[in-house]
Amino acid sequence: MSEKIFIAQSELTAMLERLSKEMDVWVPVEMGDEKWGVRFLPYHRDNVVVLGRQSTLSPKNVVFPQVETLLRFRYQKDDHDPSKQSIDLKDLQDVSSALVFGARPCDVRGFLTFDQVFLKGRYKDPYYAQRREKTLFATVLCDTKDSACFCSSVGSGPGDREGSDLWMVPVDDGYVIEALNDKGRKLIPIMGKPATPEQIEKAQRVQEQVTAKPIGEYNLTQSAGDFTGRFEDMDYWRDRVSKCISCGICTFVCPTCYCFNITDESRDLEGERIRSWDSCMFYHYTLEASGHNPRPEKFERYRNRVGHKFSYFPDAYNGMISCCGCGRCIRSCPVSIDIRKIVHHLKEAVDADN
Amino acid sequence: MMEDKVKTLQKEFLNVFEKLEVVLGWEPGYDSLHATPSFIREAEDLNKLVWNPLCSQNLCTYLVKTLNVRVRENDKKIGICVKGCDSRSLVALIQEKFVPREALYIVGIPCEGTVDWRRLMRFEPSLKDVQKLHIQGPELAVETAQKTYRFPLQHVLEQRCLHCRYPNPIIYDGLAGEPVTPRVGDDQVYGDVEKIEQYSLPDRLKFWEKELDRCIRCYACRNACPLCICRDSCIAETRTPKWLAQRCDLKEKFFYHMIHAMHLAGRCTECGECERVCPVEIPVTLIKKKLNQIVKELLDYEAGIDPQKQPPLLTFDPSEKGI
Repeated sequence: MSEKIFIAQSELTAMLERLSKEMDVWVPVEMGDEKWGVRFLPYHRDNVVVLGRQSTLSPKNVVFPQVETLLRFRYQKDDHDPSKQSIDLKDLQDVSSALVFGARPCDVRGFLTFDQVFLKGRYKDPYYAQRREKTLFATVLCDTKDSACFCSSVGSGPGDREGSDLWMVPVDDGYVIEALNDKGRKLIPIMGKPATPEQIEKAQRVQEQVTAKPIGEYNLTQSAGDFTGRFEDMDYWRDRVSKCISCGICTFVCPTCYCFNITDESRDLEGERIRSWDSCMFYHYTLEASGHNPRPEKFERYRNRVGHKFSYFPDAYNGMISCCGCGRCIRSCPVSIDIRKIVHHLKEAVDADN
Repeated sequence: MMEDKVKTLQKEFLNVFEKLEVVLGWEPGYDSLHATPSFIREAEDLNKLVWNPLCSQNLCTYLVKTLNVRVRENDKKIGICVKGCDSRSLVALIQEKFVPREALYIVGIPCEGTVDWRRLMRFEPSLKDVQKLHIQGPELAVETAQKTYRFPLQHVLEQRCLHCRYPNPIIYDGLAGEPVTPRVGDDQVYGDVEKIEQYSLPDRLKFWEKELDRCIRCYACRNACPLCICRDSCIAETRTPKWLAQRCDLKEKFFYHMIHAMHLAGRCTECGECERVCPVEIPVTLIKKKLNQIVKELLDYEAGIDPQKQPPLLTFDPSEKGI
């Protein structure tokens, strides 16, 4: 009856081998020799899987690829009348099922915010929907926080199992793995042997210990009003964000940033319509066809990022914040901008003024 | 000694503060292993400024792209802290008339190198709550409440620092600290480029394909570059004409990085910011250094050294002997 299995560190590779015969398996691997960064790549036996630290790039691209073909097109000229042409269209491609192995609670929480936008509204995004439906998450309980982490500040936590299909708890130089739903349950038999009662008990204790220690010193869940109160305070934003260099790192490494661009990329008579990640930090993001740009300054763009995550999003989706507290935007920022402090100080500054 | 440097630095600006609009320096970042750029507008905030081996950002990038120093509304100056490498960027910006020399009050800091946080993490992932961090001879000493760690510099400094021959600022109004001896001789400056050049052509291509394939087109390398001055009109993003597709294939990434490098040929001052900021750790400075090596060989010119000199690609000389 036990749905909990144990897999030793030394048996991980063999297990991933087995899993990769069933589906595409994505694992966190180092970016290269002598590099610190980690990203998710399709499993390959030569890759060293890194579970001991958070990945630099979140596994967002598994469900929401950086570039996705929406449709392919081909114009065909009429042989008898070259002024006439017809067009062949091919849309939605089938995708295969996938398992993201070794994600963290913050990574998975990112998709919960995606779901609101792409699945729960009036329009359902078929591209996102089919990948989301076919992707499973084997998430590892997080016991390696660093100084940029703040998942508990946004209502999640290092032991947050929401959104995961399989839950892994590090125990005895290995993992106790538990299925959290039917999708996960199907994989359990090929993953490993049942865990012993001692291992299960140890895992329970680790879960309790981790859950008892929140990560992040602030509570940022009720910041929507503070943001609107501070919106027009240009000095506040200019002061804190002058150092921003307006690159796309924070948005591209973010598990919850979902803004995209759609372009037709064609050559001669054929091409494709693609959807690619966009970034609200870019000048061109809001550039209008007239040449007018409603957010020409860097600090206006940064303000939008904060507003979107902590004010507009919770207003539109029942109070849900579109920030998972993973801290990637802080860690990877070339100038170390700290979004926690900016959001927290919105309130302080409002209080100080009153 | 580091504390003395910080005091000198703050005093240099305090003495002339009424003539300054803003001071660009560094202050402590989100944890004890990071510094962050600081824009000081009030004299009493000058004591926020710090100087240590974590002060890695090249602040010259803000002169054109954030402050637009060329267009001055008053006669107040911009105060700026520069390391040796940063000062070369200043010289280049002055040469290209993007920044008037008289609009700046420069405090130079002789620099023994800055720390690559990611390399440090590789060495000692558990390092935190650092109380002091300084360079002592060939080592980086990192003090925490429990112990003092010592790391060999070649393992923890930024790549740019390992090949730096200009640790001392080239132009300045005030200097904080005594000049230091360059770490490498002139003959070792392109050692990193030469290492790659030992590969056969197919292997070199393979190397760059592997590295550039990780690029996520976040444009941090471009935006952090003090000499990338096209601001919001970079051809990597323009749609009319459209030079690059939005795709994220190796072809586009390769093309983008070659454009970036070519636009910096003979202009790049080797501050290494493009490489430092890269979230996926691509050694992009190498490409620019290769071009600099070519410019040096053909035209005997080094960027950012002499404010009076005309950069070779900004002029035309029919009697040019190099080519």
